[in-house]
Amino acid sequence: MTIKLFTLLMQAALYTLGISIVSIVIGFAIAILLSAAMLSGKGIYIAPARLFISFFRGVPLLVQLLLIYTLLPVIGINVPSIVAAIIGLSLCTAAYQAENLRGGFDAVPKGLVEAADVTGFNPRQTFFRIRVPIALRLTFPALVNEAIMILKSSSLVSVVGIIELTKMAQDLSSSTYLPIPIFASAGAIYLVINWAIALVAGRVERSLPKVTA
Amino acid sequence: MLKRHFLKTVVGTALLLGTALSAHAADDALARIKAAGVLKVGTETAFAPFDFIDAGEHVGLNVDFFAELGKDLGVKIEWVALPWDSVLPSLEAGKYDIVAGPATITKARLERFKMTSPIAEATVAIMKKAGDTSITKPEDIAGKAVGVGKATAQLEQLKEYSATLPKKVDIHEYVSFNDSYADLAAGRVVAVANSLPNIAFVAKQRNGAFEVVTPGFGKKTYFGFIGKKDDDSKTLVDYVNEETIKMKKDGRLGKLQEKWFGTKFDTPDAITDPAF
Repeated sequence: MTIKLFTLLMQAALYTLGISIVSIVIGFAIAILLSAAMLSGKGIYIAPARLFISFFRGVPLLVQLLLIYTLLPVIGINVPSIVAAIIGLSLCTAAYQAENLRGGFDAVPKGLVEAADVTGFNPRQTFFRIRVPIALRLTFPALVNEAIMILKSSSLVSVVGIIELTKMAQDLSSSTYLPIPIFASAGAIYLVINWAIALVAGRVERSLPKVTA
Repeated sequence: MLKRHFLKTVVGTALLLGTALSAHAADDALARIKAAGVLKVGTETAFAPFDFIDAGEHVGLNVDFFAELGKDLGVKIEWVALPWDSVLPSLEAGKYDIVAGPATITKARLERFKMTSPIAEATVAIMKKAGDTSITKPEDIAGKAVGVGKATAQLEQLKEYSATLPKKVDIHEYVSFNDSYADLAAGRVVAVANSLPNIAFVAKQRNGAFEVVTPGFGKKTYFGFIGKKDDDSKTLVDYVNEETIKMKKDGRLGKLQEKWFGTKFDTPDAITDPAF
């Protein structure tokens, strides 16, 4: 295990990190739309959101990636590897994050919403000042969990031609015949990244106001 | 109502995009590649010595070959590396212009794809652990565990050969040949079946750990690159054929074979009726 091999692993880890962060952010934006649709109470919005969530939660990410990469060109949309990888990860995490958010909104105590109503908050104020902050606070740990899951799931994007950390480790171990140190290093890099995410998230969580029902 | 409208919009956009993209495809593949200045090549990077990763760098005979071809054509080469079982489907999906690989030229593949002029021999043989006296000739693998790559012509030939033996071979399929070599070293399989240029290279690289058992058991076959069969790709495949024959004549291909296989192969200019 030389410095050169370790540097290559670190470069690939940057790829892993970049793809994951972009996907989590895009996924969160889509998740907001999805959970809004689910909470709208109107069948016309709920039905497509449900369909989206059941598909992207129900089909393995590996299959989704292969579909996006090889099926989209059939209808004339040919996306490069990196775009396919980000679309796949974003849509998949959006489905999970939407369910987390919906759970958060459902868990906002009814009494608080009613209290806001009688004290003269209009629906808009109730939503942005009462429901959103509480729901976000309640969903935060689940969102961090999802971010860590996506970072690890990003090891699957090598099937659409992205050389991320896991694929780089495979390539290096097959050319150097040093599987143990290389895979151990790759595992350690994943661990350190996720540990850092958990550490920062823990700090943020402690700084948020406590919610008790 | 709204849902209907939404569906119409989506289908409409997809169709529009489709026509916009195909309108672009006015000329043929080669003209488009020249105009774009880039030839996209799909491959699997676990097929030494054709395509592999040496300490982080993609190297091999294919890399050298396409570098020469790119120089002659005046375009840059862009590589797309995928697992082998999705390399050919992605070619059909238009992810790249041609597949390096290379792949054994077989009857089944010629039905679906166009294969270029051979660049090396592909006859299949087995590689065992050095010093394994229980295997001295190909038929000794009867009833034993043998590794081979998934979705490969070598797998098909091993199956065919296994059927002729008194006891069937216990065939283990791997995502890539690299994984099968690892299992040979670990003792999970007693041999790996692959084409001669590949196992000769691996045996040489793993100095003394592996040994090639000669002669090969398969029929005489050749390696070629793979292009699409449609009219659009014809100009590109024809160009690669011309280049291959040109490089064979001016000695560049021979030099590449010498560099990567340690030996030269006599290859025909075209294969119209493969043995397998």
